[in-house]
Amino acid sequence: MMNSTGMMMMTSSSSVSTSSSASTSTWSSTTSVSASGKRIQKEMAELNKDPPPDCSAGPKGDNLYHWVATIIGPPGTPYQGGIYFLDITFPSDYPFKPPKVVFKTRIYHCNVDSAGNLRLEILKDSWSPALTITKVLLAIRSIFTNPDPYNPLVPGIARLYLTDRAKHDERAAEWTMRFAK
Amino acid sequence: MEDRTSDGVKSEEISESFICCVCLDLLYKPIVLCCGHVSCFWCVHKSMNGLRESHCPICRNSYNHFPTICQMLHFLLQKMYPIAYKARELQVLEEEKENDCFSPQLDAHAHNLQADQDLENPACKESSATMKQLDSISHISDNGTTVPEQGTNGNPEATGIAIDIDKNFPQNQHSGNCKQISVADVLCAACKQMLFCPVVLNCGHVYCESCAIGIAGEMLKCQVCQSPQPKGLPKVCLELGNFLEEQFPKEYALRRDAVRLKEVDSNRGWQTNGSTEGGKQADILAWWSDPHSKVHMNAGCDSCGMYPIIGDRYRCTDCVEKIGFDLCGDCYNTRSKLPGRFNQQHTPEHKFELVPSNMIRNIMLRLVTGPIDDGSTLLITADGSENLEDLSSPPSLSGVTEENVENSLAIPATSGDGAEEHQDDSQTTEYLN
Repeated sequence: MMNSTGMMMMTSSSSVSTSSSASTSTWSSTTSVSASGKRIQKEMAELNKDPPPDCSAGPKGDNLYHWVATIIGPPGTPYQGGIYFLDITFPSDYPFKPPKVVFKTRIYHCNVDSAGNLRLEILKDSWSPALTITKVLLAIRSIFTNPDPYNPLVPGIARLYLTDRAKHDERAAEWTMRFAK
Repeated sequence: MEDRTSDGVKSEEISESFICCVCLDLLYKPIVLCCGHVSCFWCVHKSMNGLRESHCPICRNSYNHFPTICQMLHFLLQKMYPIAYKARELQVLEEEKENDCFSPQLDAHAHNLQADQDLENPACKESSATMKQLDSISHISDNGTTVPEQGTNGNPEATGIAIDIDKNFPQNQHSGNCKQISVADVLCAACKQMLFCPVVLNCGHVYCESCAIGIAGEMLKCQVCQSPQPKGLPKVCLELGNFLEEQFPKEYALRRDAVRLKEVDSNRGWQTNGSTEGGKQADILAWWSDPHSKVHMNAGCDSCGMYPIIGDRYRCTDCVEKIGFDLCGDCYNTRSKLPGRFNQQHTPEHKFELVPSNMIRNIMLRLVTGPIDDGSTLLITADGSENLEDLSSPPSLSGVTEENVENSLAIPATSGDGAEEHQDDSQTTEYLN
């Protein structure tokens, strides 16, 4: 009796283990480094051939997965004439996961915090593998022109932007002079 | 190999239409999603979300089924760009070996055999004759033009294409690298004429839009393989349609005239399909919101492609491949004979077991994804598509309250996919311990 119960427990536990091992082998797959590397190289060639306006980007050194980019503050904004450096890090499963983008130059902007972190939907949940670094740079350039104060990373700046635009622009221009030129 | 690829690209000048939006390379084993956008087999597979519905990388249209490779497009590309396509094959095979997971083998011989069988079918004998004529003419002279001819009995169904050889018709300017392809490579699975406004079903078979509307009754079913179409009539694959129009301008114009003529005579139209799609959509939403529905995370059905499997999941106990072989409840019950999606050596003799869904995982999944499906999905997709379409304009969230913004941002931070999956696993084990 004891024995048979033990057997039953044995079999039941083994069936559990097989079913759990079965459910681990699934459709989820890994992206090989060579595939992401190829895609990054293609983007690099595309960027060199047809660079977006006022933007540049390329690998920092030998590592294809670490890039540095620059965006020139668009005219007509308080960031005009500033040169903003950004660090771009590609994940190994790029383009199925978004690249990480960080501002290296300080900027007075409600969507960029003091550490340079950037709040941009397309770099998080709205990421699509059809997006490229060119499109990301253009999106970042567009928040220079149109900050998104309803989705802020620095609420203080967003508040000022909404309540006293002139003062906000004055401060932003001051920061541009101090840090980005 | 790197050099070979670029050489191939240079010498063959690949049309923009056939560059995959994900890998930015020549499409390899192309899959057409129900929104009409095309990607490579692996690019679509890797873009899919194993936890809930997936979205098209280009238009963010949601879908639940991993479609089958479009064989017609595969063989077309292979014919047009033999060097570049071979290079892609070797490149992808290398990656597949690395991951020990393979894409389906596509057999040109079987593909042709299928076409030949269709030709022997007396029902389409008339059109097959047309096709053979078209085929031979395009091959011999490259000057063939076609003229529509009203069927003798006045029935629009019988409208065929007659051939008129115009010796003065100038050489097609696009024929430089595409000499080898002919109208016979791009035929509709139903009318056996050149595709006009092509739509690709989930099973990978291609129809003219007008033909697919014709066969859509209660539920659209592929006439070739009898696979049901999960989400109503797919959208036209514009890349393929535009390419055909460019490649065979005269033939395409004639097909347009023929289809228009047919539409005038036919009362069946768009309206019937809208309702089918709406009903199916509601079904899918019901699955997600039903607390008793079983979601098998990261498991896909090898027959219809549903991914993740919702409902019963049957797992083959005899397949030895790492990826395994699974069927959803519907495909198991209809004893689907389709081969696996990843070249598994599955045979009908193999036995299945019912896999219980992980209850705790399901509860957690609902906790994580539930609030999104309860309405904020709309917010996110609307926001996202705006970003994608018009990068220069800021996302407008003016109508959204502070809490909603916080919710929509906080939830995906814990959900997501891939990387978060491991986190989810560890949480589950903790919970179990």
